[in-house]
Amino acid sequence: MNRPSHGWQLVGSLAAAILIVVVAITVVTLKFGSTSIAEQEAREERQEQRLDAQEERREATEDRREDRR
Amino acid sequence: MENVVETLTRGNVAEVKVVLASVALALGVYQLAVIAVGYGKLSVPFLASPPALKAHRAVGDTIALLLLITGVMCLSVYGFEDDMATHAIAGTALLAVLAVKVSVVRRDFGLGRFLPVLGISVFALLCLTWSTSAGVVLA
Repeated sequence: MNRPSHGWQLVGSLAAAILIVVVAITVVTLKFGSTSIAEQEAREERQEQRLDAQEERREATEDRREDRR
Repeated sequence: MENVVETLTRGNVAEVKVVLASVALALGVYQLAVIAVGYGKLSVPFLASPPALKAHRAVGDTIALLLLITGVMCLSVYGFEDDMATHAIAGTALLAVLAVKVSVVRRDFGLGRFLPVLGISVFALLCLTWSTSAGVVLA
């Protein structure tokens, strides 16, 4: 079997390396999932803000009830 | 520096570090196979020794850059933490042995015969560094 020229062998070797990079990035990214830590933290922060706002509204309502008495 | 890293990774420092380290490890495994062909220890019909050696050099430069970037990210954001002592020692040793290997490749210093040992040491330290951080995250 005739080997391709050294230049093409080098190109093939580097192409194989690029393929390995793509596979590694894909596998690790799939393992992490589509949601990044930054997005998760932002979501948790929004949820905390919602809970705080609910708590403040509840306290304000109770204060108004006590004022009426 | 910490702010630059946080901004570049959009707050996903650990994830980006794990991806970079995992790519370096995958390429490291490839490097072992390619250098085995380069040194004639492994014979494959589609790759001769000279292009294998050139590919090993090019991929090795890429790995060195990846490891340097990962090391800078790690140090600038996390520093040397007590509970990650093994990772810190292995990572520091990895970059030190890698620097020696690159110096020997470029200037020889009469130490060319030690390149296989240095290469295997770099790979072993890369495996240890990866397994004590990225490996734990991915497990």
